[in-house]
Amino acid sequence: MMTEQSAPQIHLWAFLQGIGHYPSGWRHPQATPADVFTMDYYRRVGQLAERGRFDAIVFGDQLHSRGAGGRTSERLAMPTLDPVTLLVAMAAVTEHVGLVATISTTYNSPQMLAERLATMDRITGGRAGWNIVTSAYATTAGNFGEEQMPEKSARYANAVSTVAEATRLWQQAEVPIPQGRPVFIQAGQSGEGRDFAARTAEAIFCPAATIEDGIAFRTDLRERIAAVGRNPDAVRIMPGLSFILAPTEQEALAKDAALLDLADLDLCIEYLAESLTVDLSGQDPSAPIPLDYILDNTLAPREDIARVLTLPASKGISLGDFATAYVRTPRGHNVFRGTPEQMADMMIRWVDAGACDGFTLQPAWMPGELELFVDQVVPILQEKGRLRRDYPGKTLRDTLGLGPLGADLAA
Amino acid sequence: MSRAFFLSVSTDDPRLNDPLWARSVLSAAEQARIDLFVMGRPDARPFDAQVIMGWAAAATRRIGIVAAVPAATSHPFHVARALSAVDHLSDGRSGWLPLCGGAPDGMAEDMVEAVCGLWDGWSADTLIIDKASGRYLDASKVRPTNHEGPFFKVAGPVNAMRPPQGHILLVIDGADPVSVAEADIALVTEGQEIAARCRLLKTRVDSDPGAIADRFGWGEIDGAHFELNDAMADIARIAERFGHLVEPREGKTLRDRLGLALEEFA
Repeated sequence: MMTEQSAPQIHLWAFLQGIGHYPSGWRHPQATPADVFTMDYYRRVGQLAERGRFDAIVFGDQLHSRGAGGRTSERLAMPTLDPVTLLVAMAAVTEHVGLVATISTTYNSPQMLAERLATMDRITGGRAGWNIVTSAYATTAGNFGEEQMPEKSARYANAVSTVAEATRLWQQAEVPIPQGRPVFIQAGQSGEGRDFAARTAEAIFCPAATIEDGIAFRTDLRERIAAVGRNPDAVRIMPGLSFILAPTEQEALAKDAALLDLADLDLCIEYLAESLTVDLSGQDPSAPIPLDYILDNTLAPREDIARVLTLPASKGISLGDFATAYVRTPRGHNVFRGTPEQMADMMIRWVDAGACDGFTLQPAWMPGELELFVDQVVPILQEKGRLRRDYPGKTLRDTLGLGPLGADLAA
Repeated sequence: MSRAFFLSVSTDDPRLNDPLWARSVLSAAEQARIDLFVMGRPDARPFDAQVIMGWAAAATRRIGIVAAVPAATSHPFHVARALSAVDHLSDGRSGWLPLCGGAPDGMAEDMVEAVCGLWDGWSADTLIIDKASGRYLDASKVRPTNHEGPFFKVAGPVNAMRPPQGHILLVIDGADPVSVAEADIALVTEGQEIAARCRLLKTRVDSDPGAIADRFGWGEIDGAHFELNDAMADIARIAERFGHLVEPREGKTLRDRLGLALEEFA
């Protein structure tokens, strides 16, 4: 039996954008969707994550105008408050938990980024992380005076130079920055994204629907990290994990079904429309998937959408049936349904199999499901010696066990 | 409601980056019944004031928090979102002080217009959040902004809610004045004319409180603004010498408390 010292520790992150991972999460009877505009909510969940000894709280971000094809969704909860503001506010009511903000390199200058993140690291006492993204939605461009978003390869090239320039500015900062710079986090999935992550990131967020997906992703990333002269053990791979907890597996499945039932057909269609960035409001849900209409009108790259839709369209599946099924696998992440013991066992199994270093938890709805995790799964992981009972230090680098800046470069 | 006397302070002290110092100075200002705490000045801003303001929203309960926002290194879409979030988390206690310094002529004005346009893209009653019917919002109350100014083109709608105050308090500093038609508060030196609903005279902690009170009584000014130097000591002096001029005021948001409610919300 492994001792507390030798058993691999499980890292926990909380991805808290919105009201939960399920599009119908806001309709859960105990969900409090209006609270996400209040400080009381962020105090509660920030302190909750800290009680669960999470490494960090992460907020995603988008800079596009929500709504497919210019139409604002009516049934999707989309309270996208500025992530940096939410995180620094949570810093004022917590002491240890790390705070990771998603900020785009495509629509911020290096000076803007450097100043914003340096201030964030200082006012949080060295708990800032930067989830480096390049923006993906086409309608973002119009909000920044541009006709078109740059191509992906140009966006990544710009990301590399922006990170380098921001790093130079941080090194020259007159007021000291507690961590020297924020911890770098990345979530790219494409080959370019993975290479950028391998060169830059200290923690990586990804979808992994199965343990095999996780092993494949982590193995690939560790190879890429080693290939650029960095130590793969100095990078945390943190796939997303949504979950529904209940005292028995049957109850968890029933709870999951009840939550999915709250995703009525209109919500499913809006969720699909949002993902495909196309207005589906005039389409007949009982008719086959209107593939040509979608490909002609989507604001996303046509080939990406074709990859998702061609097979189901060729089978003659109706738009409504496809949308309903689509909501059941939100964004390709692993969804766990079961008891706290089963969830703890599953998490340990993944980590021991090399599928990940921990999990980015995406509660199905907030805040109740995260409370269940902290109250019921966290103690099991601690009892098994897989989760810290106290924070090791003050900064996010300490919490992640990253060592000083530069420690990732292989000797 | 009787006219309110405003007490306002500003700081460019780099120690505002330090959570321990920031907490003590904000707490002292709050106890001194200071209405507005302005972070950053036209010539010095050794921090990103919008970031500190988000932290301060959680670290304070009553004081108005105002961020200096330089047009030269800001974008309206980011500014509209960050300030909207701060106004929500602070229950409507936020303001902003746009700065021209270093930017081409007209850029700060363009930024103000674009940011206000983005906030106006959401009606105050857009959100429905009705679990039973599944309607989260009324899409007819969200409109693109399509701002096309000399410096900024912003389509919108912004993906952030309208601030609880509608528009957060707009503060103009006479040392770097943005020319806008409807500023809420101007920080002015002796004899300086700037159009705003309220004028706060920049003065010193050792100036005569009686003279300030007289001028308030005559309607020449609406309060006093102090540029903090030795912040903790200055706040103590302001509390001691000027605190009695401030009367307790009721109201949910900063605008309500200062008698600056927007027409549409009145």
